[in-house]
Amino acid sequence: METAGKTTEQSPSPAISALAMRYLVLAALIVIASLGFGFANENFFSLANIGILLRSISVLFIVSMAMTFVMLTGGIDLSVGSNVAFAGGVGVIALTATGSAPVGFLAAILAGMSIGLINGIFVGRMKLSAFMVTLATFALARGLALVIYDADSINVSNAIFLWLGGTSWGNVPVVIPFVVLVFAVLSVVLYRTTFGRDVYAAGANFKTAFVLGRRPERTLVWVYILSGALAGLSAIITVGRVSSGQPWAGLYLEFDAITAVILGGTSLFGGRGRLFGTILGVLLYGIIINGLVLTGTNPYLQSLIKGAILLSVVLLDSWTQRGKQR
Amino acid sequence: MTHRIDMTGIGKSFFATRALDDVDFSCVAGEVHALVGLNGAGKSTLMKVLGGAIERDQGRIEMDGRDVAITGPADARAIGVAMIHQEYSLIDELTVYDNIFLGRELHRKGTPFLNKAEMARRVRAELKRFGLSLDPGRLVRDLNSGEKQIVEIMRALMSEAWLIVMDEPTSALSEGDKERLFHFIRRMKSEGVAIIYISHHMPEIFGIAERVTVMRDGRIVLSERTTDTTEEAVISSMSGSELDDFVKPHKAAEGEILLSVRNVSKTATYHDVSFDLRQGEILMLTGLRGCGAPELAKTVFGLDDGYRGDIAYRDVRLKPGRGPAAAVRDGMGLVTENRDTNGILAPLSVRDNIALPFLEKSLSFGLIDNTRIERLVDRAIRDTSAKTSSPSQEIRFLSGGNKQKICFSRWLDRDLELLVLLEPTRGIDVHAKADIYRIIEELAERGVGLLILSYEIDEVVMLADRVITFYEGRSISEYVHPHFDKDRMLADIAGTGPEQAA
Ligand SMILES: Nc1ncnc2c1ncn2[C@@H]1O[C@H](COP(=O)(O)OP(=O)(O)OP(=O)(O)O)[C@@H](O)[C@H]1O
Ligand SMILES: [Mg+2]
Repeated sequence: METAGKTTEQSPSPAISALAMRYLVLAALIVIASLGFGFANENFFSLANIGILLRSISVLFIVSMAMTFVMLTGGIDLSVGSNVAFAGGVGVIALTATGSAPVGFLAAILAGMSIGLINGIFVGRMKLSAFMVTLATFALARGLALVIYDADSINVSNAIFLWLGGTSWGNVPVVIPFVVLVFAVLSVVLYRTTFGRDVYAAGANFKTAFVLGRRPERTLVWVYILSGALAGLSAIITVGRVSSGQPWAGLYLEFDAITAVILGGTSLFGGRGRLFGTILGVLLYGIIINGLVLTGTNPYLQSLIKGAILLSVVLLDSWTQRGKQR
Repeated sequence: MTHRIDMTGIGKSFFATRALDDVDFSCVAGEVHALVGLNGAGKSTLMKVLGGAIERDQGRIEMDGRDVAITGPADARAIGVAMIHQEYSLIDELTVYDNIFLGRELHRKGTPFLNKAEMARRVRAELKRFGLSLDPGRLVRDLNSGEKQIVEIMRALMSEAWLIVMDEPTSALSEGDKERLFHFIRRMKSEGVAIIYISHHMPEIFGIAERVTVMRDGRIVLSERTTDTTEEAVISSMSGSELDDFVKPHKAAEGEILLSVRNVSKTATYHDVSFDLRQGEILMLTGLRGCGAPELAKTVFGLDDGYRGDIAYRDVRLKPGRGPAAAVRDGMGLVTENRDTNGILAPLSVRDNIALPFLEKSLSFGLIDNTRIERLVDRAIRDTSAKTSSPSQEIRFLSGGNKQKICFSRWLDRDLELLVLLEPTRGIDVHAKADIYRIIEELAERGVGLLILSYEIDEVVMLADRVITFYEGRSISEYVHPHFDKDRMLADIAGTGPEQAA
C-alpha cells in the first residue's frame, strides 16, 4: 500500500497540471493578443505605451487580487467599484481639511475597510448571501460618494498624495513596482499564513472548516475587510492618476475584476484558484480592452466585447469541468 | 429470459493511477454478486464504468451477448442498470416520490402538469409490496439514513432496472435497517433482479451473496461461488497476506479523570447522562441509530450548545457555546460520521486536509513552515496507510475508505488529549480496520482519552475498555473490560434489557 509520495516525479498531480495548462493557454493568448495589436498599431510595443497600459490596469490588478481572496471563500464583492469612489472621496476630503497626505491615505483606507467590515459582518457573521449584501453596499457606497462629493469632482494638488498614482520614473510609472510589491505581500499572506489556508478552507467546505476549529465566520469578515482596504488603496492610486477625486470613479470595476479572476481560473464555488492566474487574467483582459482603445475601435463595441469574453470563459470552464469528471 | 452483463478487458487510468487493469466481470439476473477488496482497489470505479459515470479507456461491455455502448448514465439506465452510489444522490428538498420519479415524471394526460397523486400512489403501492411503510410525500431532508437508502433502492427498482449496483449500502444503516435491506434483497433476487453488492463486511457477504469477486490494485484476483470458498480465503486474497488479527493489549492502570459529564440533557435527544472518562481510557458509546449518543459526543466537542447539565474537561467547566475552535485549542479532536458534508474539504489537496488543524503549531516567524507540514503529512498518510497518488492530490479523487482514513489521520500528530470518534471505521476495509484499532490503542497508551461511538457491537466488544449502552437518549448500563456480555448489551440497546423491563 506504500504508494504515497513516491510517484510524484512521473505523475504531476492532476490539480497542478490542469492549472498549469490553464496558465499556458492564458500566456499564449496574451502573446497572441499583443502581437495582434502590435501589427495593428506599431506604437503598441513602445516602452511608453506599455507603461501607460500597465498603469491603466494597475487598479484592476489590485482589486482583482482582493476579489481572488473573496472568491476563494466562495463569495463575491460587488461593492469594490463604488467603494473606490467612496474611499477616494473620504481621503480627498480628509486631505483638503487637514492638508496632510498621511491623514488622507489613512482616511481612504479606513473608509474602504469600513465598507468591507459591513460586508464581512453581514456575510460572515449573519450568513447572508454575499451577492445580496454586496449588491446593497454597491449602491450604498456609490450613494455616499455622490453625497460626499456633492456629485462634483474635487481637484487635488498635494504632491505626496498624487505620487503613487501619478509619478513615473522615466517610462516606468511608480505604481507598477508597487503592484508587484502588493502581489508579493498578498502571495505570502495567501500561501504562507494560517489566514491564507483558512481562506481556502472556508471556501472549500465551510462546515468542515468550522468543525476543525478554523472559525470560518471570522475568516470571511477579514476577507471582506481586506477587500475593502485594497479598494481604499486603489482609490488613492485612482486619485493620483487623474489628479482629482471623482464621484464616478471605479465604475464597472467589479465587473472587470470578476471577469479577470474567472479568466484566471479561480472557481466561482470557492476553494480553488491562485493569485498568479488572476495576474494573467488581468493582463489578458487589460491588453484586449486597451488594445481596442488604441486601435480606435468603436467605444460602443467595447462593452459588447467584454460581455463576450466573460461568456466564453464561463462556457470554457463548464466544458473543462465536465471533462474532468469523466 | 434471464439477462446477463459481461464486462471484458476493462481498463481505466486516472493520470498515473491505474485504477482498473484488464478486468473481466460478469453478473447474471437472479444472483447477488459481492464485490470486495481493500480501500482504493477499484470497486467503485468498476461500477461507475458500468453505470456510465466514468468513461473506460479499454474493454467491452456486453448485455446478453451483444455489445452495448455505455457513454453516460442515461445509456446504463436504458438497458436496465441502476446505481446506488457510495455517496447519497437524493435531492433533499424534494419529496420521496419526486426523487423516485426524477427525470421520468408522470404527467396528467395531455398536459404539462405533474400527476403527483399518481406518483405518490405508485410509490406507496410498491413500498407496500415489500412490506415497508414510508410516507411518499415526506421531504427527503427529514428522513434518516435507513429511509434514504430505501428511497434510493425504490428509485432503482421502479426505473425497471434488472441490475442494481449497491456501493456499501449498509455503511449508514442500523441493525434493524440492515435486516430489512437483506430481506428486501432476497425478495428482489427471487423476482429475477441481479444485484452487485459492494461491502467490507464478510458475514454480510457470505450471508447474502451467491458469488464473490475480489479486486486488488485494479485487478480481479479471485471470483468464486460463496459456497466454494471461505472468509479467510477471501480476506487473504484481498491483500495477498493473512489478516493479522487485532488483539487488545493488556492495559496498565488508567490516569486522571479527563472528562466528566454530569446530568446533561437536551430536549428530545438525550436525557440525564453522566459519565467520566480517564486519560488513556477507551470509552465506547453504543446504541441504535437515533439513540442520542452521537449528539452527546458532539456536544462534548462543542458542536452543540442547547444542553443542560455540566461538562468538565481537565477539571474546568466547559461553557456552552464555546465552539469547536476552543475544543481544538484545548487538545480535542473529532472525526465526524459524515465525511462528505463535514469531514473533508473536497477541492483541497490531501496535504491541506490533513494539516489544517495543525497550522498554528507549524509556524516559524509567523509563516507556515512547509517542510514541517510535509513531514507531518507524510507520517499521517503512512500511519493510516491511506492510498493517494501524492499528497497534492485533491481529496475528492480518493476512494471512500481512503477519505475516511485522512479524516482520522489529521488528528494523530497533535498534542491530542481527547479524541472523539463517530463511527471511526465506516467504509474502512478489513485490513485497515485492524490498523485503525492499533492506532487507537497506541493513542490510549500515550494517555489520550478516547470517546468513541460505534453501532457495531463486535467492534465495541473488541476495542473498548468500558462501554455505555444507550436507548432512546438514556444511558442504560455500563460494562467494564473484560466483563462484556454481548447479549445483554444487545438487549440494552434494543430496549429489552433487565433494567428497562423493571
Ligand atoms: N476521479 C478520479 N481521479 C483520480 N483518481 C481516482 C478517481 N476516482 C478514483 N481514483 C483512484 O482510483 C483508485 C480506485 O478507487 P475506487 O474509488 O474505485 O476504490 P474502491 O475500491 O471503491 O475503495 P473504497 O473501498 O475505499 O470505496 C483509487 O486509488 C482512487 O484514488
Ligand atoms: Mg468505493
